[in-house]
Amino acid sequence: MKEYKILFSGTPGAGKTTAIGAVSEIPPVVTDVPNTDPGYAKAYTTVGLDYGQLTLDTGDCLRLFGTPGQARFDFLWRILGRNALGLIILLDNSRPNPLADLEIYINGFGEALRSMPCVIGVGRHDQGNTALDDYGLWLMERNMILPVLPVDVRRRADVVLLIDVLLAELEFHIRKGECSHVE
Amino acid sequence: MSNEQQIRRIASREVQKIAKELHGVSSVVIATVDGFDIASIGLDGEDPGRIAAMASSVSAIGSVISQEESLGRSRSVTIATDTGFAYLSCAYLPDQTLILNVIADQDAVLGQVAYRCAESVRRLEAVA
Ligand SMILES: Nc1nc2c(ncn2[C@@H]2O[C@H](COP(=O)(O)OP(=O)(O)O)[C@@H](O)[C@H]2O)c(=O)[nH]1
Ligand SMILES: [Mg+2]
Repeated sequence: MKEYKILFSGTPGAGKTTAIGAVSEIPPVVTDVPNTDPGYAKAYTTVGLDYGQLTLDTGDCLRLFGTPGQARFDFLWRILGRNALGLIILLDNSRPNPLADLEIYINGFGEALRSMPCVIGVGRHDQGNTALDDYGLWLMERNMILPVLPVDVRRRADVVLLIDVLLAELEFHIRKGECSHVE
Repeated sequence: MSNEQQIRRIASREVQKIAKELHGVSSVVIATVDGFDIASIGLDGEDPGRIAAMASSVSAIGSVISQEESLGRSRSVTIATDTGFAYLSCAYLPDQTLILNVIADQDAVLGQVAYRCAESVRRLEAVA
């Protein structure tokens, strides 16, 4: 049995806390408090961490951690990112500039992203003016190829799909690592 | 004066007084529960916004632990270090929670800081 630590980060209100709650088989650890920031229309916001657990059919156990989204909590991005095997960045397409939002997390996790697979989940993709392809193009301009998936984090199946894609990426990373080892 | 203004006024008065009355204190920040500083005095030029964000994270994790162990509301968290300590206390006002955060070096006495912070917390909580 293997254990994987997976980290959820991304825009406040995109649904990190909701996503972890949607798939966790234990009552999730939640550190949400009343939000006083008028910049985000949400009643509660995460200031510590989210934590949930999910056992796969293979018996492997996923430990799911969520960060606060706001950049003023970036010290926690580093702490929670330690030993994570993969990162899921959740974005909210209805925001004024979701590509600028993406940049915050690509830069914030910059160093870690070199060795850690990452998947991008775009929420409220039917709203806003950014097409899903725009995310891929934006990444390509920065020499990055990451899976970009439309998601509704309120649906368990969507969150499970994000995790499945991340695990597939992880598998690929490991094999690539093994190959380069042999060379 | 609105309630919010009154809270801010008392908060700035309390941070000034704590810094003046206690030895070894390097900064005092009063933060909203989601990590914004509403009053601060940084004697070493530390960024109060950063301290406020950290105070809110630490306090939230303290609250999770007290909840999971059914210990009631969290009142304070102490981080004792090799060269000083950080002492965080929660002020439960009628419609918001504030976090009083004191950073101190080895010249400070923890018991004294805790006692003095409790006094400030009472004054903040008394704002109706
Ligand atoms: N209407 C709608 N609501 C959504 C959608 N995706 C997420 N939400 C809601 O957005 C909120 C996200 O909040 P939260 O999980 O706290 O976000 P976090 O800041 O990323 O942790 C929740 O209330 C979700 O139900 C969506 O596609 N449509
Ligand atoms: Mg959250």
